[in-house]
Amino acid sequence: MKQEIKIKKGIDIPLGGIPERRVVDARSIDCYAVKPPDVVGFTPRLCVAEGDEVAAGQPLVVDKNDSRLFLPSPVSGKVEAIVRGEKRKLMEISLTSSPSQHEEESKGECFNLSSSSPVWWMIKERPFGTIANPDHKPKGIYISLRDTNPLAPDMDFALKGREHEFEAGVKALSLLAEVHCVKAEGPHPAGNIGTIVAALDPINKGEYVWSVNAQDVANIGRWCLTGEYRPERVITVGGPAAKAPKYYRVLCGACMQRISETQLNNPSYPSLADPTCSTRIISGSVLSGTQIAANGFLGMYDQQVTFIEEGDQYEFMGWLMPGLKKFSFSKTFLSGFARLLPIKNYPLPTEFNTNTHGSVRPFLFTGSFERVFPFDIYPLQLIKACIVGDVELQEKLGIYEVEPEDFALCEFIDPSKTEIQTIIREALEVLRKETIA
Amino acid sequence: MRLKWLEDWFEKIEPKGKWSWLWSTYEAFHTFAFTPKTVTKSGSHIRDAVDMKRSIIIVVIALIPALLFGMWNIGYQTAMSTGADWHWLYMWWFGFLRMLPLIVVSYVVGLGIEFAFAQARHHEVNEGYLATGLLIPMIVPVTTPLWQVALAVAFAVIIGKEVFGGSGMNFLNPALVARAFLFFAYPTHMSGDKVWIANDLWGSDAIAGATPMGELAAGMHPSASALDMLIGTIPGSTCETSVIAIALGALLLLFTGIASWRIMLSVFLGGGLMGLLFNAIGYNEYMQLPFYYHFLMGGFAFGAVFMATDPVTAAQTNAGKWIYGLLIGAFAVLLRVCNPAYPEGMMLSILFMNCMAPLIDHCVVSRNIKRRERRIAR
Repeated sequence: MKQEIKIKKGIDIPLGGIPERRVVDARSIDCYAVKPPDVVGFTPRLCVAEGDEVAAGQPLVVDKNDSRLFLPSPVSGKVEAIVRGEKRKLMEISLTSSPSQHEEESKGECFNLSSSSPVWWMIKERPFGTIANPDHKPKGIYISLRDTNPLAPDMDFALKGREHEFEAGVKALSLLAEVHCVKAEGPHPAGNIGTIVAALDPINKGEYVWSVNAQDVANIGRWCLTGEYRPERVITVGGPAAKAPKYYRVLCGACMQRISETQLNNPSYPSLADPTCSTRIISGSVLSGTQIAANGFLGMYDQQVTFIEEGDQYEFMGWLMPGLKKFSFSKTFLSGFARLLPIKNYPLPTEFNTNTHGSVRPFLFTGSFERVFPFDIYPLQLIKACIVGDVELQEKLGIYEVEPEDFALCEFIDPSKTEIQTIIREALEVLRKETIA
Repeated sequence: MRLKWLEDWFEKIEPKGKWSWLWSTYEAFHTFAFTPKTVTKSGSHIRDAVDMKRSIIIVVIALIPALLFGMWNIGYQTAMSTGADWHWLYMWWFGFLRMLPLIVVSYVVGLGIEFAFAQARHHEVNEGYLATGLLIPMIVPVTTPLWQVALAVAFAVIIGKEVFGGSGMNFLNPALVARAFLFFAYPTHMSGDKVWIANDLWGSDAIAGATPMGELAAGMHPSASALDMLIGTIPGSTCETSVIAIALGALLLLFTGIASWRIMLSVFLGGGLMGLLFNAIGYNEYMQLPFYYHFLMGGFAFGAVFMATDPVTAAQTNAGKWIYGLLIGAFAVLLRVCNPAYPEGMMLSILFMNCMAPLIDHCVVSRNIKRRERRIAR
C-alpha cells in the first residue's frame, strides 16, 4: 500500500558536500565486516573461526537469546579476523571476499521469506530497534521511500533498475503483515520511520511495527526471486570534508579504505586514535551515525557515509561573535538575521564541524524541541523521565513510539548540549531488558 | 578568530594538584574567553551554534534599550522636579551614575554567590545570572539603598535559586524574588511617592513624585498622558517605564526565538480582557481606566516581556504557556484594580503563576497521557 504524508516540523540542515548524482561501482572492494554492535539487542555467539571459508549468506554469528536470528556473511570468502573490544565484546568479523563471488548462478526458484532467510536481519522491529522477532505479529511493515537525513541518498535514484526486485520484496513482506510504502514530504525527520509511524498509526504498549530500508526491500526481493544473497546498497559519500562527494554501489559492510583514499586530502591515517586525524568519518547520517576509522566498515543498516571536519579548536568569545557563517535554528546569530535580507538564494551558512559550540548545562529553554519533533509527545518531559529513570512515566509519555534517531534534531538544536540520543537509547535498553525478563 | 597566545596561557594556568579545587572559577573565565574545543562523541555529530551563553547574552542585549532609556529618565525626572536646566546628555550621565552602583552591587554580590556555590559543588558556573543580575537593578526604585540591593540579591540567589540546585532548577523568577523581598522587607523604600525620583547624585534623598498607579490608588486620574507613559517619561522603577524601549527588546527576543511569543502575547491578552471586564463594570476611577493604560503603567510591559517569559519558571508546554500568560495578565490587572495597597500587581501575579506553572504543565501533559491511554483502549 503506497501512502503519502506531509510533515511541517523539522529542519533541513544545509550541510555542504552534496553528492553528485553519479554512481561509482565499488562492488570490487574485497574487504568486508559484519558488526554485531550495530544491531540493537543482539548478543552474538560465533559460528565461525578465523581462517574459515564461508559462503555469502552463511551465518557468522547467532543471537544467544534467540538462536533463529543470525547475521550472515555478505560475501563468499575467508574469515580474516575476529575483533574484540573491551570485556572481550565482539566488535566485528572481517572477511576477505573471494573473486568468484559475483558469478554465483541464480538458482531459479522462489524462496519464502522467514526467520531462517539470510535477509531476515534487515527487518527491524519497533519499539527498541531490534531484529524482528519472528514470534511477534506486527501491526504493519513500514518502508520509507524518502530518506530525509542530511546528504542521504535519493531513494528513487538508488533503486533505479531494481524496481522488480523491490516489488518482489514488498510482495514477500506482505505475506507477513500489511506493508505500507510511505513517501513523506517535508523537512527532516519526515522520512524517519518513527515520524511515519507516528503520523499514520502510533505504536502502543504491547504492539510491534516492523520496518525495512527500501534498498533492503530490493535485497529481500532479490533473495526471494533467485535465492542469491547479495546485500547491495547505493550509498552516498559526502559532507563538507569530502573531496568528491558522490554515490557508490557497495555491498553491506564494505571496507571504506578505498573510498576514504579518494575523499580525503590526507588518507594516510588509518586509526581512530590518531591525534592528527582532523576529519571525522561517520557511517550513517551526521545526525545519528557512528564514527568509523578511515579503514573502517560501513554500518550494518547504513546507506551513507559523511566526512566532516573535527572542531577541536577554541573560538575566541564565540558566544559574542556575530556569526554570519554559523548555523543556528534559533536565529541568535547574524546568519539568522541575514535571512531577513531581500536577497534571493542568500548563501546559507554551511560551516559545520564536530565542535559542541558550548558546554553542557541543565535544560533552561523550552519550546524549541516541539518545533522539530513531529510526534504527539512532549519531548522535554519524556527526556526528563528518561534521565530520572521513571519507567512508568516514560511509558505514559510514549517511549514506545520513539527511537534515539527521532530525537536527533532535538539533540542538534539543544542549547544545553545534552546527549539526548544516548539518554533515550539507555532508557529503551532498560525497558527492552525488562520486557525480555 | 583565534588567539593562540591566550589559548596557550589558559592551558598553562589550568589549576592542577592542590589548586584543582579552583577549577569551577577557572572554567568560568576560560569558557568566557573561549568557546571550548569539546567535540561531539556520538549521536548528533554536528551541533547548533547556539549555547547557553549566547542565549543569555541575547536577553542582556534585549535589555539594553530599556536600560539606556531608564538611565536618561532618571536624570530627566530629577531635572523636571528640581527645575534644573540640564542637557539631555547630562540627564543620561546623571542616570548612568545613579544606576552604575546598583548594577555593580547586583553583579558582584550575585556572581560572588554563584561562584561560591559552583566551587562548593564542583559545578560549572551557570551564566543565567548575567541576565538576572541586570534585571534586578532595572526594576527597583532609583533611591533603593545599596545594602538593600545586596541583601535582596543574596536572598534571591540563595533562597530563590541555589537551594533548589541552581539555574534551571528554581521555580520562582530570581529577579522577582529580589523585588518581592525588597517590597515586603522594606515597604517604605519601595512604595509611596517619595522613592521614584532621586534628589541628587549621591544621596538617597528623594523627591515626591507620584507614579500613575500611585495616583490611581489614591482615587485620582493619572496626571501623565498615555503618550508619556508609552515613551516612558514618568516616574517609576529605574528602567521599566518606557514601553517603546521594552518593545525594542521584545522584538529581539521574539525574532531570535529566545522568549516565547505565546507567553508575551497571552499576558497582554489576559491583561486586556481583564481591563475590558472592569471597564464594563465601571465602578470607580480605576475600573473606568481604558484597558490599554494597564499595558503602559508600572511594570506590566516589562514583566510581560522579560519576567513572565523566563523559560525556567514559566509553563513549559505550549498549551500551558497560553494559560500561564493569560492568567498572569488577568491577575496583574485584578490586583491593581481591586487591591491598590499592592500597586505592583504584575510582580505578585508572575510570582503566583510561577508557583502554578508546574500544575498547569501537569494538567496539559495529563491530557496527552489520557489520549495515549484511550488509544490503547480502542
